[in-house]
Amino acid sequence: MTEIPKIVSQRLQALATLREHPDTNLLVAFTERSLGKREQVEVLQHLSQCKSCREIMSLSAIQPGIAAPVSPPASSQWLSWPVLRWGTAVACVVVVGAAVTLRHRQQSRPIAGVIAEGTPAAEIRVPAPDNATENKFASLQVPDTGPNTAVRAKEAVSRARMAPAEPAGGNQAAVSPGPVEMAEARTASSLADMVPGRAKDALAESQSAQAQPAIGASSEMKKMTAATSDAFIPETLIPRWTLSSDGTLQRSFDSGRTWQTISVTKQAIFRALSANGLDIWVGGAAGALFHSSDAGQHWAQVRPVVNGEALADDIIGVEFRDALHGKLTSSVEETWITGDAGQTWQKQ
Amino acid sequence: MPKDGVQSVVETFPGLDSFVAVAYEKSRGQVFGLTREQFDGILGEIARKYLPVDAAQSEIRELYTSLRVEELALARACALGHEHAWEVFLTRYREKLYDVAGYITKESSAARELADSIYAELYGTATRDGRRASKLASYTGRGSLEGWLRTVMAQEHINRYRRQRRLVSLDEETEEGIQFASAESEAAIAVDPRVEAAVDEVLVALPSEDRFVLASYFLDEQTLAEIARTLGVQESTIMRKLDKLAKSLRKQILASLGRRGMSRRQAQEALEVDVRDLRVNIRSRLAQETGGQAFSKKKAEAPAGDGS
Repeated sequence: MTEIPKIVSQRLQALATLREHPDTNLLVAFTERSLGKREQVEVLQHLSQCKSCREIMSLSAIQPGIAAPVSPPASSQWLSWPVLRWGTAVACVVVVGAAVTLRHRQQSRPIAGVIAEGTPAAEIRVPAPDNATENKFASLQVPDTGPNTAVRAKEAVSRARMAPAEPAGGNQAAVSPGPVEMAEARTASSLADMVPGRAKDALAESQSAQAQPAIGASSEMKKMTAATSDAFIPETLIPRWTLSSDGTLQRSFDSGRTWQTISVTKQAIFRALSANGLDIWVGGAAGALFHSSDAGQHWAQVRPVVNGEALADDIIGVEFRDALHGKLTSSVEETWITGDAGQTWQKQ
Repeated sequence: MPKDGVQSVVETFPGLDSFVAVAYEKSRGQVFGLTREQFDGILGEIARKYLPVDAAQSEIRELYTSLRVEELALARACALGHEHAWEVFLTRYREKLYDVAGYITKESSAARELADSIYAELYGTATRDGRRASKLASYTGRGSLEGWLRTVMAQEHINRYRRQRRLVSLDEETEEGIQFASAESEAAIAVDPRVEAAVDEVLVALPSEDRFVLASYFLDEQTLAEIARTLGVQESTIMRKLDKLAKSLRKQILASLGRRGMSRRQAQEALEVDVRDLRVNIRSRLAQETGGQAFSKKKAEAPAGDGS
């Protein structure tokens, strides 16, 4: 992400003039896109200059388990385009056909995908012939056509999602989000940053997942490939994350109704996490830092090093504002910053 | 009978009477214990709040059409103390209140405290002129009641967070006997006024949405996802916008500096080397040497929601 000169940030802050705040009703209506054009502009103008109101908007806009406001006019306008409507129908047929084919193939061979040793596939909702657990993802899975199944599956889902735009000349910018994308936006919106700022932990819901045996830790700095080559997590389902009180990482694909414990490494106690879509960073005791870019299917340990000195203190804060830029806060109040997804670090 | 409000609006625009009647029917106000008269008064209050005095009938109609009348009737009936309305409100929103509070505070006792205090304000434990003053009386139906409750809770949480930080800092510093440093005087290094003027010129000319995105990302350090959610767009849209903005800002500022008599090289240097960066680094080093860390560390360890 291109940065801006510091003088610009400072003048941006200095130019903020104190004005009367819009009332709560207008802020809500702004978020729900139910204001008239004039009021929309006025509220946006205020928000561009008022940090307090921006904080409130940010905090109140993201709530799990509560349906995020959806703008029906946008989707109905989108669906009113006959070409896009037919494109969606074609995409649905492709996805359903792929799911049926996958189910047919999987019935003839056992599923090997598990994350933790000895853990039944039900824990990660991978379809298995002897798995009585309802497979929520079955309709979204694509045939296992060989190696790189997860990559191909993701590509298939991406193609299905993009299909509505193609008949319109590939002008994706003109396409309003379809049902799949809006579902993603809703679940993505469940990845809460609860208080103002970027470094936040996701909220733990009341239901706790059963503990899973830890996966055997491989040597440091190499990818620990979970045996989930056959397990596919649809891109459309962005998980929610939380850390339990004893420092274990937990993930939910159903907006917090149920949680699975993710064993990243043996004996790791995590204290902070930062998630952006499928990307997640967790940090904890003795400088333990792990990163996954596929919603926890695969993990890589990252060792921040500056001038030959590795981070050995507890990590108590992790903030990643995008895939590349992040900072860690240690228990001795050092800040470690990276601008290249953890490949190099600077210390403050 | 209200002296002004919808009745006066209806008098001015007789056609609105049937419109308001339909709205009352749709609001189920009668079920919640709200009379037609009370409903009319509420609509009149909302029109006065959001529209100019000389608003046209079409504007009023448009405003009323956008209102969530059922939630409005429910909220206002609760504010007036109608028991059945409270039963409905609690059935729909009580659990959500606690869920939202838990999600915001991430700590169960703080969540309960927050939810309970909001609930008390909604119920109206305070009185004004002998009447119960309920926060629900300020809901106007412009957005969903659920969204309004979330926003009210977010506001309260942020206010508590800020109050607590101020209280903790003052109490702890007094106990530690730490002497407060005198206000730092501005460094002698001055920024070229042409740079400030050029930056101001460019920023003021930006559309509000662009300034909002810049401020949210670079000042508030919000994530792309958070900003996208607030504006109702895709995260990738925000990423592209930010990239484009950052590049065009630079270009425009350089052009503005050029118009102010700076050479291209001078202008680029003025933007790339900000002496305030150097000053900040020195300041932070000095702060570490004077032992300011102890308090900060304690502040970081203070449990969330601990107001004692």
